[in-house]
This record gives sequence, C-alpha cells and structure tokens, in this order.
Amino acid sequence: METIHAISTNVETTSALLSFAEDKLQLIALSFMALVYFFKVRWILSFKAGKERQAPTGNRDTNAKRGAVYSLFNIFMPWSMPSTRQHPFFYLQFGIFHVAVATSITMSIVLPYLPQLISSPLIIMALQTLFALGFLVGVGRLIRRIVSPYIRAISTPDDYFSLALLVVWLAFAFKAAPNNSDITEFWLLGYFFLTAFFLFYVPFSKISHYIFYPFTRWYLGKTLGHRGVYPLPFNPGNEPLGRMFTRIKSVEGK
Amino acid sequence: MSNKRSYKCEKVIERLHKKVSRQILGSLEACVHCGMCTDQCHYVLANPGDVSYMPSYKADKLRKLFKAHIDWTGKKFPWWVSARSLYTDDELEELKDTVFGKCTNCRRCSINCPMGVDMATFNRMARGLLVSVGVMPQGVAVVAKDQWEIGNQMGVLKEDFLDTLQWMQEELQSEYDDPSIKIPIDKMDCDVVYSINPREAKYDPRTIADAAKIFHFAGENWTMASEGWDMTNFGLFNGDDELGGAVARRCYEATENLRGKKLVISECGHGYRSTRCEGQNWGQKDVNFKMESSVISMLRYIKEGKIKVDKTKNPEPVTFHDSCNNARSCGLTEEPRELLNMVCMDFREMYPNRAENFCCTGGGGAMSMSEYTPRRLKSAIIKANQLKETGAKTVVTSCHNCVDGLSDLIRHYKLDMKVTQLVNLVANALVVPEKRKAAAEVATLVGYKILLADDEADTLAFFSTVLEDNGATVILARDGDEALALARKEKPNLITLDLSMPGKDGGEVFEILRKDPELSAIKVCIITGKPELRRLIYDRPVTPPEGYLNKPVANEELILNMHKILGVAHDGKKK
Repeated sequence: METIHAISTNVETTSALLSFAEDKLQLIALSFMALVYFFKVRWILSFKAGKERQAPTGNRDTNAKRGAVYSLFNIFMPWSMPSTRQHPFFYLQFGIFHVAVATSITMSIVLPYLPQLISSPLIIMALQTLFALGFLVGVGRLIRRIVSPYIRAISTPDDYFSLALLVVWLAFAFKAAPNNSDITEFWLLGYFFLTAFFLFYVPFSKISHYIFYPFTRWYLGKTLGHRGVYPLPFNPGNEPLGRMFTRIKSVEGK
Repeated sequence: MSNKRSYKCEKVIERLHKKVSRQILGSLEACVHCGMCTDQCHYVLANPGDVSYMPSYKADKLRKLFKAHIDWTGKKFPWWVSARSLYTDDELEELKDTVFGKCTNCRRCSINCPMGVDMATFNRMARGLLVSVGVMPQGVAVVAKDQWEIGNQMGVLKEDFLDTLQWMQEELQSEYDDPSIKIPIDKMDCDVVYSINPREAKYDPRTIADAAKIFHFAGENWTMASEGWDMTNFGLFNGDDELGGAVARRCYEATENLRGKKLVISECGHGYRSTRCEGQNWGQKDVNFKMESSVISMLRYIKEGKIKVDKTKNPEPVTFHDSCNNARSCGLTEEPRELLNMVCMDFREMYPNRAENFCCTGGGGAMSMSEYTPRRLKSAIIKANQLKETGAKTVVTSCHNCVDGLSDLIRHYKLDMKVTQLVNLVANALVVPEKRKAAAEVATLVGYKILLADDEADTLAFFSTVLEDNGATVILARDGDEALALARKEKPNLITLDLSMPGKDGGEVFEILRKDPELSAIKVCIITGKPELRRLIYDRPVTPPEGYLNKPVANEELILNMHKILGVAHDGKKK
C-alpha cells in the first residue's frame, strides 16, 4: 500500500509540474519575449531610416512598394535567386526545418488549450513525420556547420547552440506530439520547458532573425523597387534546367 | 591582448555609431550565417577553399565590431556571438585588405541573400570608416584627392579638357568637312547638358567625338559644361558621403547654372548610379531637371527617327556585359539590349546576365588599387569563362570601369576579344544624311621622328608599320637603356614608352627624360598593357606625359593620339 501511495503522489506532483510548464510557464516566457521584442523593435526604430531623394529609375512597371512586397515574399520564390535556384535540395531542407519549427511553436499553444485539434492519429503521425524531418535536417545542418570549413569559419557559439537547441526541441516535440501524459510525460515536460527556455533565449540569439527579416527585406526591396531592379524578371536563360544541378560546382558541400 | 585602443580605432568606433542607419542595422543583425551567399561571389568561385573571400566572412569583420559596440547580446556576452572590437592599427589594415581588396561592392551577394542582407552597402560603410582615419589603398587616396581638389577623379585640368573637346570638334569637322559640327561648351538653356567620365577626356576622347556626332545628327540642342562635367564619383567607392555629396552637387550645379533641362550621363556604371541615384542623397539636394543615361537618349533618338542606323555596319558577333551598378542598383538592363539589337547584326547574351551577371572585377574602385591586381585578375577567371562561352568577338559594356576591367582580363586570359561601348557602336552604325566626303587621306606625320620603346617585337612591328604608313620616321628600341641612348642620339619629336621593359623600366626612362634639360622637350606617350602601373608615372615629381594609351591600341587610335600630342590636324597641317 505504501508503494502504491508513493507512486500516486509522484503522479500528482508530476502532473502539477506539467500543468505549470504548459500553462503559466509559457505565459511568463511569452510575456517576457513580447516585452523584450517590444524594446527591441523600439531600439531598431530609434535608428534613422535613410531617405531616397532621386526620381525612380529602371523598369517603369515597378515602384518602391512593389519592390518591397516582392522582397518580403521572395523567400517563397526559390526561382528568384540563383542561391536558392541552384540548390533546390538545400532550399527544400530550409523549408522543412522552418515549417517544423513554426509547427512546433503552434503545437505548444494547441496542446494545453485545444488538445482535441491534434487528437487524430493521422494528424499526430503527420506532425511526427514533420518533426522527424525537421530534426534530421537540423542534425544535417549541425554537421555541415561543424564539417564545412566555410560555415565553420563564420559560426559563433550562438550559431551552434541555437541550432542544437532547436534540434533537441524538435526531438522532444516528436515524442510529445501524441500528448499522452501517462506515457510521454517526460517528453511533454521536456518539450514545454525547452519551449519556455527557447522563448526566453530567442530575443538574445540569432533565432530572432525573423524580427529583422521584415526590416531588411522591406528596405532592400523598397530601394531596389524604386530603382526598377525588383521584382527581378524571370530569366530562364540564366539557369537552363539541364545544367541546374551541375553547372556550378558546390564550393561548400550544399 | 592589451585592451588599450589606438586613436584611429577610437575614431572608427565613434563614427560607427553615427553611421549605422536602420537599413544597415538590419543587415548587420539579420545574417544567420547560412552560407547561401558563398558561391555567388566571383572571388569565392575563383579561390575555392579560401574562406576569407566568403561574403558573410568578409561581412563579419564589420559585424563583429558592430556586435561589440551596438548589439545587445554582443555588448554583454561578446564571446557568445563572436563580437570583437578593434584595438590596433594593424587590425585596421586587415580590415582594409578585406573591404577594399576582397570585395568590389558588386551587390551580387546582396540579391542572393535570403535575409535581404545588403552586404555591399555596409562594406561601403566600412570603407568610409577607414577612409575617415586615413586607412585606404594609396590609389584610392590619390583619386579622391584629385576629385576634391581638381574636380575630377583623373586630375584633368580645365585647359586640357577644353583642348581635348576642341581637338575632337576639329576632328569631326574635318571628317565630315562640315564646320557646323560643334561640341558646345557652357551654352545656356540647352535641352541636354552632357556629362562624362574623365577617362574619356584623358584616354578615350573618341567616345566624346562619337557622342558629339550622335547629338549633332540627332539635332539635339546640347552642351557640355566647362566645370562640373565629371559625373563619376569616388565617394561611391571610398564610402565617403561628404566627397560623394560634394562631387554630385558640383555636377548638379553645373546643369543648374547653365539652366539645362536634362543632365545626360555618359556610359559609366558607377557614374550613373552616383549621379542619378545616390548623389542626391549624399548631397542632400533636390534637383529641378531630369537625368538620364546616354543609352536611353540614343535609344530614344532612334525610336523617334532623329537618327538612322544601319546594323550591317556592325556585323561581328557581340555580347553585352551588364555593369553591376547599372543592373543591380539602377535597373538599367533592357535599354542597352534593345539598342544593341538595333545597331548590331549578331547580339549574343552572356549567361548569367542582367542583375545576376558577374562583376568584371574592375568595379568598386579596384582599378585604382594596384596592390590587389593579382587577386583581381585571378578572380576574373569567372568573367573570362563567361565571355569565352559566348563566342563573341566584341564585348560591349556601358561602363568605363568595366571597359578597363574587361580589357585587363581579356589580355590576362588571352581572349580573342575587344571591348567597346554602345556609343561607339551607335556612332559606327549611324547613317549620315548627305555625308560630305571626308578629307582625303594624307600622310599626316611626314617630317616627324618617333621613337618606339617596347620589348614586344609584335607591338613594335605593328606600331612602326602604322606610323611609317602615315609618313613618320620611326626608330625602334627594345629596352629602357636603348631607348635613352637613342633619344640622346636621334632627338625624336615623340617617344612612346612601354612601362614594363628589361633594364630601366618605362617609369625610370620617363623621369630621366623629363629631368634631362636636353631631352625634356621631347613629347612622351605611355603605351602600356598594365594600367595598374599608371601611378608609377603620374606619381613622379615631373610634368606628366603628353599622352597615355592602354594596349591593345587600334591603328586609328594610335594615329589620333600621335596627332594630338604633336599638334597635327586631321589633314596633316600644323594646328
């Protein structure tokens, strides 16, 4: 009887911890992140934006606004840049990894508040497949960062740590996806604690690149749109399909 | 490592805070070190395995400094984001080597960055920070000084500029036997004020004559300004916004003073970008006239029927090289192609092209930084392969830097090609109404003794044939010592000097000639295949040479320059 009582107490304690991790802890972490981001955006806006005085140049069918919008979305157009066009497999990895990360963030909100949305075994399997692929891509990227002399030369401790953090987090997401606390409590706890840590850490790390993305892309697009460069015309001659995978020898093992 | 910082480093850091705009901040913060830019840089492709050419690696040199002083995490935990401040002047020299010597600011990595990091823009900023404390390649300092002091980047004096325009006007009048052909100077209230690159006045006056011919036959009401005619701007290359603003304002004010309606900018990539786009920002000046590239003007003349062209006059296969500044920073990509198809029989695209084109390797002021010439030429293999694949005999470009960069790499990689500009092709294809008979060809150099000093037998044979055909008496020297001995013995009217020769090189011979009272009156024309050695001549404490030509030299160009130096008119009469 004593043994049974001890297990029961332990389960109750663990459940309370999980309950805290998936609710209050997340709210605290999210609030912290939002607060830091508020200050960060204010900080970005405290720098003066350059002004363009000249009349538009180049293609008359475009303008600053069109250029900015094109620039914001050209990451979704892998044909628009030689760097993505010449490395379609690398681009695919990029897509999988980012979708997996975004899905995992969404799952951290869905699990505690709308668990019924991911109760179907099919959805769970789809999520797990995505997280597994994201995990594999992450491991691949980590290896690339260590092995490729090019990428190693530019990598900082933050680069390694941020990537490793996401890889581990995706592994926990994979195991937590079934949301069965009887079986996967350890993974759920790990997943939510990692999510919270992630939220606390992100504003200070390279992972916050998505905050800067709209700024860099908007301003670059605005300038190049005003000057008639963006949107870049689709120029199939530059990359005939026949030589797409062979023309430029990869210099860093993409 | 001591944490004591040099005075120059202190100043660089102080200015960094003032220079970072919101756009630059975003670019410095947003890099995720994904490496997507790596194989989009011609330096990387030509130097596989050398990480120091990688765009993000080069960008990180400035990014580390930014992180150490401005970024949140970098200020508190520098080691975590590899933030690193600058402490010594040697570190500034290292930074100089990267931002000037390993990047031409071509912006190809910028348009290939998924994050939209504009590396070329902050590389320019880094150059500006270094220039502000006097750390820059010597050639950059010399050119910037000329642009500040003399008003143009090649130090062309006003009298020489006006003399060149007069000379070209006489050539045109003589060619068409038509005294109404003018190169107007400081004419008020014109529709077009034409601005040029000083390279045209100094080394390539034929392009001025070609443009004048086109304006004349198009019936354009045009002029050139005697001051503020230089549309190039070294401020773009050295990152000095003050210089950029001053130079641009000089050009704008010249047009305003003449009450011109439009400023037409001759074919020059960085000049077009600086004058048409950046200059107003640097100079904080709005203008009340229009600006356009001469490419657009020429295209319009043809479309409006103001001039007629015959493309059969340009039958050779040609390809087009997009200048980085025109294509990636000004969107000038379609007009040159439209024009080429109108004036050439066989136009072939080069791949990749337009905004994805590779740099000629002469951009970003690289042609004035002779210390980096070997690495520039090594990286030019990418462009050389692009050129070769087209099978064209001529590469056309709308940029004077590209003309020099391409000429250099064509020579280096022994490609059977020549470089020209659209203005030359349009002028050549021009159908001149009721063209008057040109003056009969005469032996124009009779009575002149010319000493040719060059160690290449082929060059000597070619030049001597051309000059003897024109009546000159030619003496040949195969090295510097022989040239000096023959100069003393023969007292020629003119000496052409190659710079790189056995024994005394061309620079030494030139200085000796100038300092010797018996020889100092002999006119000198430098003819070299190594334009990067130009400063070996112009830095000497003696009067500059009367002429300067880059090899290869066409016979027409050689004769034109001999005429100019010797003061002989097109018909052989003394001017």
